[in-house]
Amino acid sequence: MSGGRSVAGEGAARRASEGRIGALFDPKLVSVALASVAVVVAGGLVQVSFGAYSMTIGEAWRAVLDPAVLLDPRWLLNFVVGEGLMRSITGFQGELPELAHETLIVWNIRLPRVFVAAIVGMNLGVSGAIFQAVTRNELASPFILGVSSGAGLMILLTLVVFGGLSAFLPLIAALGGAVAFLVVYAIAWKNGTSPVRLVLAGVIVGTVFNSLQTGLFFFADDIGVVQSAIQWTTGSLTGTDWEQVRMALPWTAVAVALSLAGSRQLNLLLLGEQTAKSLGMSIEKVRFALSGVAVLAAAASIAVAGIVSFVGLIVPHMVRNLVGSDYKRVIVGCLFVGPALMVAADVGARLGMGVITGAASQIPVGIVTGLIGGPYFLYLMRRQQNMGEL
Amino acid sequence: MSTENADATEIDATDGPDGSNDAGASATARGEPATDASDLDGEDLVLGYPNAPGPVIDGESIAAEPGAVTALVGPNGSGKSTLLKGLATQLAPEDGSVLVDGRDVHAMDTKALARKLGLLSQESTSPNSITVEDLVYHGRYPHRGFFERTTDEDAVAVEEAIELAGCGHLRDREVGSLSGGQKQLAWIAMVLAQDTDVLLLDEPTTFLDLHHQMEVMEIIETLRDESDVTVVVVLHDIEQAARLADRMVALKDGEIRARGAPEEIVTEDLLADVFRVDADVVQTENGPRVTPLRARHAESE
Repeated sequence: MSGGRSVAGEGAARRASEGRIGALFDPKLVSVALASVAVVVAGGLVQVSFGAYSMTIGEAWRAVLDPAVLLDPRWLLNFVVGEGLMRSITGFQGELPELAHETLIVWNIRLPRVFVAAIVGMNLGVSGAIFQAVTRNELASPFILGVSSGAGLMILLTLVVFGGLSAFLPLIAALGGAVAFLVVYAIAWKNGTSPVRLVLAGVIVGTVFNSLQTGLFFFADDIGVVQSAIQWTTGSLTGTDWEQVRMALPWTAVAVALSLAGSRQLNLLLLGEQTAKSLGMSIEKVRFALSGVAVLAAAASIAVAGIVSFVGLIVPHMVRNLVGSDYKRVIVGCLFVGPALMVAADVGARLGMGVITGAASQIPVGIVTGLIGGPYFLYLMRRQQNMGEL
Repeated sequence: MSTENADATEIDATDGPDGSNDAGASATARGEPATDASDLDGEDLVLGYPNAPGPVIDGESIAAEPGAVTALVGPNGSGKSTLLKGLATQLAPEDGSVLVDGRDVHAMDTKALARKLGLLSQESTSPNSITVEDLVYHGRYPHRGFFERTTDEDAVAVEEAIELAGCGHLRDREVGSLSGGQKQLAWIAMVLAQDTDVLLLDEPTTFLDLHHQMEVMEIIETLRDESDVTVVVVLHDIEQAARLADRMVALKDGEIRARGAPEEIVTEDLLADVFRVDADVVQTENGPRVTPLRARHAESE
């Protein structure tokens, strides 16, 4: 080992200079991020330009970049944290200055929807990425451990049985998802868990809750209630505004920070339970904690958009194919690709029917993501020999 | 802020009165005669699997010789891998205890234990696109706090491990693109980077070609001769075991049938009793040479 020292010195220097975020300056990851930002910006511009009140791309640009909003912290705070908090932060008591008609439409109605789409995409991407590592299955989605069925059941119960509580529907749906996750964990637990036991328990709980949910549809006597239920259970961004941004943003920040912090644990989980254990990981604690973070992210997305399928399944998959399996990069990649997919899908959901049929109706975005997700997996299935195992 | 935290966890994490967890300490210990090598003792171990009717190992004790290589041999299903899993705490004993330097491993913090005791499993899986170097860095997991980044000490340990395992030329290759033998070297480098006082290896040479078998053997010989790591290795090949080990333990049907120096263990009687083969055993300068003649069938016994 005599010659080892000099080599070791070089290696140490190389690693140290890379530092913690060094791994992120990977050309592939950077191009994925840039391409995703381009998609979000393009999709966002389409979203703010078209609709019942049409404007040209130029007008839309001017409205988005309107200095009356961008340079006025009162307006910005008014949007991002709400009017009450804005007034207590700035101490401003008067009337906010008038905005142009276009600016009002763009900033009040169309832009927040783009932001909500981006936030939902982020949450679902990160959540799916974590669940794929925890279950060591690349076909896992954020909803694999019962989250969607629990949320769906609570949505139906609220809409059909406890109509008085529908103001709290977002919260109830998110809680339902989290409770179902705990039930799944409790069922899977027997001196510890394993990926297979967790997935099976997820199937069990999902089957029962989905049956109950479908059964509840029979008790809905109003077509409006049924439509609302379908919107929630397939995922929709119709009618979202700044309130949804404010609702999801803090939880998203927490979930994203925790998942980035947990990326090394996720990498270790990929080496298999035995290796992770022999390297000193408290595997049950880590697995539960990471699942909890993923459920938090999924619940935040459910609270604002309902149960959007396929995004959490495809996004980590695409990212892994593009940047490799290092979870630090996978998580960061999901933060970009998730919003790109979600914003693009929402363009289809909001404007697609208008283009195809000429009618001004919107469809739930979950339908579009499903339509994108199916063919993507068909393509993968044709191209890849082995799928499933991570 | 993270640096301060990191330092704090490092101090907390260092345990053992002799501070033998310090990478520096064991690095300097390499090449010195085995003085403060670690003990690994299994006492009255009862080991079984949750769904199996009875235990595989029923009340056996085993002590690994400090700083030396102990080989576990035995036929298929003799319980040697189970015993190793029990020693590695992958399998919780139904009764009995495993002690490292006199401390019960189940009472130890998992990371502290992983700095003392390393395990190379028989089947190791990893994502295909991870590079060998990144894989080896995972071996440093128990030495790092939750938010800690890699230190120079980690880098030195990784370089030493890669050199000892002889996989420097594979460093930037993706694990998925390696042959079985090359993969095994990468995994060995990973457990070496873990820098433990006790190393447990579960059939490290099985399924490898001759060249890679010799590579693995040489790594273990280096550990035996130049460090005071206590090694316990499960081997299928009794000749290899005899050549490599300072002490051998032969198992059959979950019982330890014999233990001692290789020349005491590898005898025609033992091969007949434990492995159920008639064989010629010739002592050579490279250790005993075993020529199996025929399998003993139940009626001939």
